[in-house]
Amino acid sequence: MAASIFTPNYPLKPSSSICVNTSPNPSKFATSIIKPRPRTTRINVLTAIASLSDPFVLQIAETLEDSLSSASPPLPLQKLREASSQSLLSTPWPSRKDEPFRFTDTSFIKLSHIQPIQFPPQSTNFLGVSTDTHLPNLVIVDGFLIDSLSQFPQLPNGVFVGTLSNLNSEAIMNRVSEFMSNFEGDLFWSLNGVGTPDLVLVYVPEGCRVESPLHLRYCSVSGGASESKNLPISNPRVLVVVEKGGEIDIVEEYVGVEGEKCYWANSVTEVVIGEGGKVSHSYLQSQSMNAAHIKWTSVRQESASTYELVEVSTGGKLSRHNLHVQQVGPDTVTELSTFHLSSSDQTQDLHSKLVLDHPRGVSRQLHKCIVAHSLGQAVFDGNVKVNRYAQQTDAGQLTRSLLLEPRATVNVKPNLQIIANDVKCSHGAAISDLEENQLFYFQARGVDLATARRALIFSFGSEVIERLPHSFLRKKVENHIKELLDPAVKGFK
Amino acid sequence: MALLHYCSCSTPSSPTPLLPFKKWTPKSIIFTVPALRPLRHRFSKNRPSPRLSATLAVESPTTSDDERGGYSPKILLEVKGLSAVISESKQPILKGVNLVIKEGEVHAIMGKNGSGKSTFAKVLVGHPDYEVTGGSVVFKGENVLDMVPEERALAGLFMSFQSPVEIPGVSNIDFLNMAYNARRKRLGQPELGPIEFYGYIYHKLDLVNMKVDFLNRNVNEGFSGGERKRNEIFQLAVLGADLAILDEIDSGLDVDALRDVAKAVNGILTPKNSVLMITHYLRLLEFIKPTYVHIMENGRIVETGDESIAKRIERAGYKTISAA
Ligand SMILES: Nc1ncnc2c1ncn2[C@@H]1O[C@H](COP(=O)(O)OP(=O)(O)OP(=O)(O)O)[C@@H](O)[C@H]1O
Ligand SMILES: [Mg+2]
Repeated sequence: MAASIFTPNYPLKPSSSICVNTSPNPSKFATSIIKPRPRTTRINVLTAIASLSDPFVLQIAETLEDSLSSASPPLPLQKLREASSQSLLSTPWPSRKDEPFRFTDTSFIKLSHIQPIQFPPQSTNFLGVSTDTHLPNLVIVDGFLIDSLSQFPQLPNGVFVGTLSNLNSEAIMNRVSEFMSNFEGDLFWSLNGVGTPDLVLVYVPEGCRVESPLHLRYCSVSGGASESKNLPISNPRVLVVVEKGGEIDIVEEYVGVEGEKCYWANSVTEVVIGEGGKVSHSYLQSQSMNAAHIKWTSVRQESASTYELVEVSTGGKLSRHNLHVQQVGPDTVTELSTFHLSSSDQTQDLHSKLVLDHPRGVSRQLHKCIVAHSLGQAVFDGNVKVNRYAQQTDAGQLTRSLLLEPRATVNVKPNLQIIANDVKCSHGAAISDLEENQLFYFQARGVDLATARRALIFSFGSEVIERLPHSFLRKKVENHIKELLDPAVKGFK
Repeated sequence: MALLHYCSCSTPSSPTPLLPFKKWTPKSIIFTVPALRPLRHRFSKNRPSPRLSATLAVESPTTSDDERGGYSPKILLEVKGLSAVISESKQPILKGVNLVIKEGEVHAIMGKNGSGKSTFAKVLVGHPDYEVTGGSVVFKGENVLDMVPEERALAGLFMSFQSPVEIPGVSNIDFLNMAYNARRKRLGQPELGPIEFYGYIYHKLDLVNMKVDFLNRNVNEGFSGGERKRNEIFQLAVLGADLAILDEIDSGLDVDALRDVAKAVNGILTPKNSVLMITHYLRLLEFIKPTYVHIMENGRIVETGDESIAKRIERAGYKTISAA
């Protein structure tokens, strides 16, 4: 059993008030050179770019660009592509020496033959698309929104759901433009920006509450055989804009359609929540066990808005979720509940960053992970930054990991940075096996050890699963997890 | 039989702790509840006809009349020279405990904090924190020390924990369903699904005065002290036991809760099963009349007698024993 917890930047006692200074930001290589010697700026930037250009990255970027249809894209998309290519010029492929990838090995992607997917599959009737058509349902296959499979009954007036190319409203188009390219992601964010065939937009106008959940189903169909080096890449990108007082409930579900194929889903979801708005977000990831799944979720919260995320990730050989929540006004509420299960030779990684810049934000983060395979790994880097003006913030972060096999690995780095001085912050990290006392309680009531273990392992995740807002999701997830855990649990007997 | 325990107050003023067991007949019951009114009406208002038989232990063995009539009860538990250490540190805690419990008896163990009472209870049910280093424990003719904890439970030993653990993520009803099915499996009966099981335990909630939503809460999670104790007794009522070991079931209970708990315990008593109570207070013994009271000190039972011992301790503390 291998476990590491990195002590947070600033050790904290629960609920204590702390005043600390920021550490200098080490990552801005270019600016730190530029600042002291403004006259040499140009040369230094160019040198920096040249030295940072990574031929491998440029090659992927090029093939992605070549794969796009030649029709001229809507303006915001064009903007996105430009900004993304620009940043790819100076972004190398991550290595284990880069802090954000210290524990996450991406070489499996790098060593594969990455192929862009140019068209959605012609035949889509094998998708087994569910018949629960009473829910608004958006089907995105290999990164392409498939209109024939999607349906949106009951959407209120003024709500737009569809690709940017199909958007007729200039006003909304301008609104979308505002949110393009004003966030700095990483390499994968930019690759998505270059490679996404279109942008799927979910627009909720002011004061509008969308009653039924909007189900986004991302299906991966193209894929290499499990031992082949072929890795088709898809780049779905979704932007959710909820205007002042609007509300929506979105469900993102990622699945591999047939067997355990090799593919790479490189997905980006951006969420913008206006004043007093609310987004409830369920994110379920059950990709093929041979897939690479890289996902960005970037959220901007205006004042008094609420964002609630419940994530359950179980699939992928390499699954990485970059979650970034930025507060842009006071009195926000942010609830992040995530559960990762690594039940085979796989890596489940959550890198979350929550930045509080305004007063009276409330945030709760709970991350749980189980590693039930000796070659399995879980990574958690959870950063909460409470900046100078974020007084009276109430931030809580808790992570618990359960290691069930001798060589299972977990790397946890809960990380609170607090600059404001009047805040309430708590955090905790625990790594454990099952609790002896709980097991004994079962036994003392006549339940054998194997059954008790199964119940306890399952219950570990249910703290998060219970928070899924819809019972049909909870059922689905519970059954899936039972299936995945069963072989692992049998191993104990 | 179902109504026996409601014939309370039959011998209110004559506690007869050392009563010869021969005097027992199936129609007389020694565990009376003098302080309690007949409680039937208290919970009958919710539903027209509470099924009183439900208050009896579930799987309690039925006995033929000639087995009971006229003979002294069988030995249920026999502990001889039991000694045990803490597994980790090897520190000795139990230092030669002797105890015999016969069918139908109620025993109480009292003793100072830290004298080993809880340890004794936990060793009996096989808690892994302790290692038995000597002596024997025979329950219903079988060597308990050879059994894993779940076997002991299925054999009819039940211990209510002094501080029951929380199990987040497992609901009370699922937990009980698993435990109940383990029992049914052992008896070769088909397991009960959640709905059938709900039907079976629903009305048992009245026993401990618990609301239905209590079944959907996670095991002991966020329960108050009193709710935890009620939950232990509720489990006992649902699962049944031949010997119920109740570790400080009265601690932290208000008067009403104590009545509820005592009522439930009396409710599951039959002439065939027995109770071993660990307590610090005479109060509980007034609700559930003990046949014997034992005093534990430094890992041994140092004195055995009737209820008057408990009265003396209530009055004068434990120093009287050391002096003896
Ligand atoms: N698992 C353990 N680890 C360390 N010490 C223990 C453990 N279990 C029991 N002890 C010690 O053994 C002694 C007896 O404890 P026990 O809980 O049996 O006492 P008790 O008689 O039940 O006390 P109380 O009346 O306070 O409940 C105490 O000194 C206690 O600290
Ligand atoms: Mg005790």
